[in-house]
Amino acid sequence: MSIEYRVSSFEEYRGGRREASKLKTQNSKLVRKKDIGSVLHQWSKDYTIFVPCNEGDTAFTVHGSRLTVYGLWDGSDINLDWYRNTVTPPKANFLPPLEEMFRFQKGKEGHSMELPFEPGVWSLESGVPLPQLIFGIRPCDARALSLLDLIFTDAYQDPYYLPRREGAVLVGLVCLNPYDSCFCTSLGIGPGESDDVDLLLTDIGDEFLIEEISDKGKRLMELTAGLKDATEDDTARANEAKEKAYGRVTRKINTEGIKDRLLSAFEDEHYWEKVAAKCIACGICTFLCPTCYCFDISDEMVKKQGARFRCWDSCAFALYTKMPMENPREEKWQRVRQKVCHKFEFYPMTFDVIACTGCGRCIRLCPVNWDITQTLRLLD
Amino acid sequence: MNSDHKMQQKLRHEAKALLEQDKVDLIIGFEAGSLKFTTTPLITKSKDDLDRLVINPFIVNNLALFLPDFKGRIAVASKGCDSRSIVSLIQDNKVSRDDLVIIGIPCPGMIELRKVEKLTGKDRDELDDIIREGDKVVITVDGKGSEFPIAEVLSDNCLACEFPTPQDYDILLGEPTATSQESRVKSRESRVKGQGSRVQSHGEGGGLQSEASPDSRLQTLKAMSPQQRWEFWRKEFSRCIRCYACRNICPSCFCKRCFVEESEPRWLMPMPRWQENLMFQAIRNIHLAGRCTDCGGCERSCPVNIPLRCLTKEMYDLVDELFHFKAGMDKDAPPLMTHYEQEEAEDLIR
Amino acid sequence: MGAKLNSEWEPQLLGFLCKWCSYGGADLAGTSRKKYPPNIRIIKVPCSGRVDPLFVFKALQMGFDGVLVSGCHPGDCHYQTGNFRARRRIAITKKFLEYMGMEPERIQASWISASEAGKFVEVVTEVTEGLKAIGPNQLFDEQRP
Repeated sequence: MSIEYRVSSFEEYRGGRREASKLKTQNSKLVRKKDIGSVLHQWSKDYTIFVPCNEGDTAFTVHGSRLTVYGLWDGSDINLDWYRNTVTPPKANFLPPLEEMFRFQKGKEGHSMELPFEPGVWSLESGVPLPQLIFGIRPCDARALSLLDLIFTDAYQDPYYLPRREGAVLVGLVCLNPYDSCFCTSLGIGPGESDDVDLLLTDIGDEFLIEEISDKGKRLMELTAGLKDATEDDTARANEAKEKAYGRVTRKINTEGIKDRLLSAFEDEHYWEKVAAKCIACGICTFLCPTCYCFDISDEMVKKQGARFRCWDSCAFALYTKMPMENPREEKWQRVRQKVCHKFEFYPMTFDVIACTGCGRCIRLCPVNWDITQTLRLLD
Repeated sequence: MNSDHKMQQKLRHEAKALLEQDKVDLIIGFEAGSLKFTTTPLITKSKDDLDRLVINPFIVNNLALFLPDFKGRIAVASKGCDSRSIVSLIQDNKVSRDDLVIIGIPCPGMIELRKVEKLTGKDRDELDDIIREGDKVVITVDGKGSEFPIAEVLSDNCLACEFPTPQDYDILLGEPTATSQESRVKSRESRVKGQGSRVQSHGEGGGLQSEASPDSRLQTLKAMSPQQRWEFWRKEFSRCIRCYACRNICPSCFCKRCFVEESEPRWLMPMPRWQENLMFQAIRNIHLAGRCTDCGGCERSCPVNIPLRCLTKEMYDLVDELFHFKAGMDKDAPPLMTHYEQEEAEDLIR
Repeated sequence: MGAKLNSEWEPQLLGFLCKWCSYGGADLAGTSRKKYPPNIRIIKVPCSGRVDPLFVFKALQMGFDGVLVSGCHPGDCHYQTGNFRARRRIAITKKFLEYMGMEPERIQASWISASEAGKFVEVVTEVTEGLKAIGPNQLFDEQRP
């Protein structure tokens, strides 16, 4: 039986999207940083707004380091000068770590089933019914969402992910201070990449330059009052900032023929065992990867009522793809191989695009500093 | 004062000799990480890799973790807490002492990068340099150096460390870590009578305690009402994403199959709900009673900053208080939970 | 669990009783027609040493208001040392969960021999009264009042 893929390549997908929504002429506006609050205020009538914020920085986190996440905007003024990127990727807003799929009960007339909410509507505890607007998303993370779209619009159309995604507006923020773990430029994404967002903001001092990228972005801008038109000088300053940021991404990988190199190394047990030796098989790199989408479905039933949930799963775990008779990935090195090959070999085979955006979370957050760029370098 | 560099030279030399004389098959140590101020475990059979071995204030991982994964004779670089974890693994029959060559590092304490970040307001990769000089640390940001007492940037568990010098070793890379505040340790000594002669090296310990108690968080928690404490943990664990890094980085969590992975019966749903997350940590800690050596690995690896050491340290203190037991002190002693005394803990039972 | 707060609420107690002693004690209490609170549900275990702290926690998580672990008196264990090991485990579990914020009354342990029907009645009565005093187990409810 042959499976008919709706999308054959990322280029085709993105090309179509671009055709449909991308603006021929770009229009740019200016907003003063201190007026961002009032702009968000206008948007909040139609959208649930998520902004980068710090969580869990209490006296108890000795570290006091920033745990940056996308949190519900509380209506106050925001200052993002400190912001680099979040720990939890924005995929959590579309594919939440835990999601109730439906509820069921057993009655006299047999089983019945109900949906706990309209599928696809944001269902964080507060049950906010409006579509999401993610403010300050980084270009790498926005690309990651485009990559996730491929899998969720493929042979299977995900009724939970897609409506959320279709309604959402992404307001990108150019990444002027990338981490030393970032390697986005090797994957065709720059810190100023605009392909995957609806609006793109660039910090040019006291103001943000706002570029309209898509139709959705344009409509949003039309509804926004109190913005100045940008001059050519402003645009030039923004471009300069983007270029400078591009140069600050120093980590590189060689993607040339990576699919084939991995294919020929696939059976090289020695290589994978060596690479996997220090991996502790925790879920950090996969859970916090913006393009990892594996989930696990489980039913929970108490008395005669129950619910079906899905939650993130990770190929690093020993239980991943474990079946009653056997596990095709019994050993840790096999699971490490799965992770690397999924992103750099299988995804390119199916969609002709690498499922990695170089956001560097997996390197930055790894407890033993397992570095995917080093792993790939061994194949050069 | 031990110099990291001198120890590093000696480590490379010793490791090379061990491989050359065919005394071990595998060396486990640290090499420089791929990011600034990080290190990463180096696990190698090749002599050529040994020049990459490093010792610096960032060798935070507990290398005992890797021992049960490998067969054959292993030489392992080991700090105070690592060595106790190794002894604990020997007690639990997970590794054999005969297969090990323990290269002891008298540990002056590890620098907690997140504390440095808090102190400077900069992220790790924005710092130019961090240099430890005795009991001071010089942190350079944007070309400007500032000096801080080392205690301000050492890990909490290092500040509370009782035995910075390995308890069991074949080779020691330097002089045992000097004590500056022996008296502080002595006050504790009376509490560990149960272990008797096994803790003879006590005097070496505790050189790192600072004036500000590293355990002040525990004191704050204990001062709360039970309801407040439960509420505190409910909140903290609602952030948990169940990546299991805390479990997997822990050398004492050596179960081939963790109870969270059991499906018949299903003790715990795989969903990251606070109820499940809290149960996971509670049971994990209870399973670690008498095994945890307070290496701080769990809290350090948590990507969502859950103050896990507030749990592990309490368990560490609890087994000491109830059973006068310290993990990983004597390889010939039975593990805490397989052992008993005729008279103990009766007051908790009706 | 919605009815938890109304006045007819009765605590639910789960007992893990060792097959050789405490279960016999409970049996004797029954056959001797002694009266004890019906709030206890009993699980027979081969030895108090069989009780993993996990069982205790799981019972509380599933909504029991309290858990009682009961075995032979020290020295009387059918397997020589099972109850000594249980004692360490219980001590750790009780103290640690108390630290996490659980009411200590919810985790109880006792030594009851097969002849001590009276003690069994006494323990179950006391524990049930204690649970009544602290109220229903709402530890794992989404929102605590």
